[in-house]
Amino acid sequence: MTYISFILKSAFSDLLRNKLRTALTSLGILIGVSSVVLLLGFGLGLKEYIRQQFESMGTNNIYVMPGNVLGEGGGMDMRSSFGGVSFDEKDYIDLKKIREVTYVIPFSMKTVKSEANGNTEYSSLYGTSEDVFEGLNLKVEDGIAFDKANVNKRSKVVVLGYKLAKELYNNSQLALDSKIRINDMSFKVIGVLEEKGGGGLGGDQFDMAVYMPYKSAYVFNPDKDFLEMVVTAKDEESVPIVKNKIEEALLKRYEEEDFSVAEQTEFLETISSIFSILNLGLVGIGAISLLVGGVGIMNIMYVSVTERIKEIGIRRAIGATKKDILSQFLAESVVLSLFGGIAGLAVATIVILLIQPYFPAYIDALSMIIAIVVSSFIGIFFGVFPARKAANLSPMDAIRYE
Amino acid sequence: MIILKNIWKEYKLDHELVFTALKQINLKIEKGELLSIIGPSGSGKSTLMHLIGLLDHPTRGSISFEGKDISKLSDDKISMLRNEYIGFVFQQFNLINNLTVLENILLPTIYTRKKLKYNPKERALEIIEKFGLKGKETSYPNKISGGQQQRVAMARSLIMTPDLILADEPTGNLDTKSGKEILKLLIELNNQEKITVIIVTHDQYVADITKRQIKIIDGEIV
Repeated sequence: MTYISFILKSAFSDLLRNKLRTALTSLGILIGVSSVVLLLGFGLGLKEYIRQQFESMGTNNIYVMPGNVLGEGGGMDMRSSFGGVSFDEKDYIDLKKIREVTYVIPFSMKTVKSEANGNTEYSSLYGTSEDVFEGLNLKVEDGIAFDKANVNKRSKVVVLGYKLAKELYNNSQLALDSKIRINDMSFKVIGVLEEKGGGGLGGDQFDMAVYMPYKSAYVFNPDKDFLEMVVTAKDEESVPIVKNKIEEALLKRYEEEDFSVAEQTEFLETISSIFSILNLGLVGIGAISLLVGGVGIMNIMYVSVTERIKEIGIRRAIGATKKDILSQFLAESVVLSLFGGIAGLAVATIVILLIQPYFPAYIDALSMIIAIVVSSFIGIFFGVFPARKAANLSPMDAIRYE
Repeated sequence: MIILKNIWKEYKLDHELVFTALKQINLKIEKGELLSIIGPSGSGKSTLMHLIGLLDHPTRGSISFEGKDISKLSDDKISMLRNEYIGFVFQQFNLINNLTVLENILLPTIYTRKKLKYNPKERALEIIEKFGLKGKETSYPNKISGGQQQRVAMARSLIMTPDLILADEPTGNLDTKSGKEILKLLIELNNQEKITVIIVTHDQYVADITKRQIKIIDGEIV
């Protein structure tokens, strides 16, 4: 029997002697590790989901928004994003003149009541250009998209998002060529989009919307303004050039701090940094329960040391050094903590697998490694004080202890 | 082999009260000796045994063990001396209850820093056979009799081929027959293997088996 296997075997047999106590103590670590892994999984999953959503809209997109959205520090300043200017058709036409631009997609947004087929739904109405479908990768499943002529003629036509069509008509086929009442005005449905996806996370913003030529939408938007515009550059190389030209064009009409022009990557970076802070916060909350679990281990290890003072004395008498005793008790607390850690990881994995169909959570090798490393570390950190107490007992006092 | 020079052991009871357990002890124990330390309870004989067994330090005075001044050695070195040179046999047997008989006997070999010249398991099985413990190897200490437990403790004290066996009231928890067997084993080890054996006892009958007897009363050798 080598020394290490001996130390581990003693640790296991000592822990098995008090099965209930071992289970309850590990439970603290189990809860801590599983909450950290779960929260990390939720945070990372959400971040990854949003990144995919952005990328699915194309990677050459440039966002033109009112206000100083991407603040100095790279953070998103929500207050100013509601201020600033609102754009109008002249801006749209100006931006379309830039040579390296493929699409310009203006957006006016309004929440409307849609009635069709005896059903009523509330959803967003996007007043936009014919480029929205190509530019944002929105594919028409049934029927057709509206075109430039529809925009100019202010045709009373709409294209419905997949989910909205389904909610209103049960079957998206039925939606085609039917009448839909939007805020008590009648429009014709000419197309239904393919599902963009995104689970139940509010990521169905594209699926749950009405798309209407922006000029037709003026009836709901008397100021004839746009909340934002998405500009698609013809390729990745021209993104910075287009960005500069957009700024140049807009500066003729607006002050510098009244609008923002952001590349997809900048946007992603900002979102990424927000989520990193969010994740840190979530993991911090989970870490509190880990800390409590660690204190539980420390507590029970002190009890264990007190119960076994005599045994420590015997081991010291036959030649165990302080280090031997320290290793024995440390091994015990690490095994205890690791046991909780592995069980916690298993619980978190099961929970994540169960909710994955509804929520973009995920678990990866990194969170597994973190869980194992952190629980070993907790075992060492909270085990070292009781173990040192055991190691520093006087052999004579220990062996005489009754 | 062991020389105690002018040893005092005092315990502070509170700020001013000091209890003197041992007073000016001078003792020389030669290699291969068989001796007993006899005295009533509270006389300080156990304290003396703990000092000889290197489990404790004196308040004043010096202990030399195999020519080494104990006060100059680190705790690790002293642990190694206990491991390699001293075997303990206690009144309460002091076996570890969640280790089997064989594991208890092998425990000192786990902690040793010395390279053993023999296979510890083979040696343990030899001793087990010699001590009539065959068939009990995988039993746990609380499942065998007191006499058997004390023989396991003896086997454990021998596994490292010690120079000294310290037996603290080895017969105290045993019936007369088992007690006699244990004493017989101790005498045999002294005779045949030339191991120094020190028996600590309050029982004159036990002390009488040894030629040299050290009487201790109120912390002093008389």
